[in-house]
Amino acid sequence: MTEVEAMDNTVGRRSSIRQDTSWPEKGFHWFIHGFIAAFALISFIPFWLVVIGSFTAEQSLRTNGYQLFPTQFSLYAYQYVLAGKQIATSYGVTVTVTVVGTLLAVLVTSTYAYFLAHRKVKYRNVFSFLTYFTMLFGSGLVGYYLLIANWLGLKDSILALILPYVLNPFYAFIMVAFYRNIPYELNEAAIIDGANDITIFFRIIWPVATPSIATISLFYALVYWNDWWLALLFIDKHELHPLQIMIRQLMSSLDPDAYVGVDVSAAMQIPGMGVQLATVCLTIGPIIFVYPFVQKYFIKGLTIGALKG
Amino acid sequence: MIRDIVKNKSLYLLALPGFSFLVVFAYVPMTGHLIAFKDYRVSEGIWGSPWAGLEKFRLLFESDKWIQVTLNTLYLNLLFIVFSLIVALTLAVFLNEIRWAVWKRLAQSIVFLPYFVSWMVVSFIVFALLNTSDGLVNRTLARIGADTVSWYSSPQYWPLILTAIYVWKFAGYKSIIYLAAITGISGEYYESARIDGANRLQQIWHITLPLLRPTVIILTLLSIGRIFYGDFGMIYGIVGDNGVLFPTTDVIDTYTYRMLRHLGDFGMSSAIALYQSVMGLIVILIFNGIVRKVDNDSRLF
Repeated sequence: MTEVEAMDNTVGRRSSIRQDTSWPEKGFHWFIHGFIAAFALISFIPFWLVVIGSFTAEQSLRTNGYQLFPTQFSLYAYQYVLAGKQIATSYGVTVTVTVVGTLLAVLVTSTYAYFLAHRKVKYRNVFSFLTYFTMLFGSGLVGYYLLIANWLGLKDSILALILPYVLNPFYAFIMVAFYRNIPYELNEAAIIDGANDITIFFRIIWPVATPSIATISLFYALVYWNDWWLALLFIDKHELHPLQIMIRQLMSSLDPDAYVGVDVSAAMQIPGMGVQLATVCLTIGPIIFVYPFVQKYFIKGLTIGALKG
Repeated sequence: MIRDIVKNKSLYLLALPGFSFLVVFAYVPMTGHLIAFKDYRVSEGIWGSPWAGLEKFRLLFESDKWIQVTLNTLYLNLLFIVFSLIVALTLAVFLNEIRWAVWKRLAQSIVFLPYFVSWMVVSFIVFALLNTSDGLVNRTLARIGADTVSWYSSPQYWPLILTAIYVWKFAGYKSIIYLAAITGISGEYYESARIDGANRLQQIWHITLPLLRPTVIILTLLSIGRIFYGDFGMIYGIVGDNGVLFPTTDVIDTYTYRMLRHLGDFGMSSAIALYQSVMGLIVILIFNGIVRKVDNDSRLF
């Protein structure tokens, strides 16, 4: 039973009991709905404004600003952005970093967490502490910068956007909490068959742990997709700018049109605001699309991470 | 130790990649703290550069800048923790009171949504709302005949603005954790309370909130443990290099970053970072100690 279903069951059980109908109760009832509706609107409206804005003609944007409903529908901003070279480049970088990073991170984290959770490892608490300590004591920006830029020589390399996030201690502990729920007997049956722990992990544990692996994959994917800090520090080349940095460049660059990379001969009109809005929408688009399907995995991971980790 | 490695060599082999990443990306950079005690020269590296003793710390603590960034960091984080806690708890308790499952699930999905976008996107939205000439807020103010405000050059509003942004982004996320904890509360409590004639407000006050206490303590402790760490992605993403706003928005992390990237002062940047790491560690040890005394089950370690 997922968390969401569990919540609905509680609701069902409670609503079967008589509802109070006194005035203060009713007032409270409306206050609850009002508060939730207000917060939901505040959460949602900024996205709405951006999406509507991206489909509005530049001229209308300039004179009317952001609007709840479009006055002049236009796809021009998207045509313009998609005609440029940078969007394809940035999409390529972000997608590559997200896919490769997530796969690597999940493989490394799930194996490491299995080790931390395994009762046969005598010194697992020592390793857990070493892992936990990095969450308590920061390494500082200078060492981090020197490590990646100078010692590993990853300046202007796509690896600088991937490797630093491969082992997130917090996600490792979420995995540890998941593994602890798997009955140990699963192991024992395999040990009798003479399988070693690596085989056991990939043949037996991995399939059982699929839901939790899905959860941390999504956590990692979100981290990689949304990160701009690493690119800010280590990437100068336009060809390696992820989408998030592209947005930043469009907001701060003196010559955003050269940056977008539209062929000048096309002699298109330049939709300044529209370009930014369209890029933002193209950046958050994939997240919004998969969001309804993956939400429950996030909720599951959060719950375990916070309550047991 | 070695005997354990030999005995469980396949398990240690499984851990090797993860442990290597931990060492390389979390422990090796810690040697950077040494630079705080060095007269660092890039050509000579950390070990080759001459020692400078506590010179960097003297410079750091001589100027008032460290007090300003420390106070900003603590003050902003405190605002974030308090207000996001209040709003998230309210959201969770109220969501739990909603009986219409479709609306409940929809509302939950929507308030969770801001958590999923990057600070860069948030920064864009904030600029769209607040920029002086054609931001939505100023346009609205002008339309109703009020005076417009040039937000990006008025530092006094920014603790409030940043808190609002933080609550917008994280209250929904935190409410989901609280909601899950509420779901774990046995229905029997509520049933017997109802038999005793308790109304919904009383049930919230006497059952839901007290039983949420451990979760609240753990989450707050985690935040307080990081009170010396500013959210770089958030602050730098939104404020950037806008010096006018520094008096209220410059936190330790943004200061360290500017020291390193704009001034190239490795020594000072390290000195501040080490000061931050040490203070952060002290704070978490103190708070964990307090929690051990008050509510031993909620302690972190």
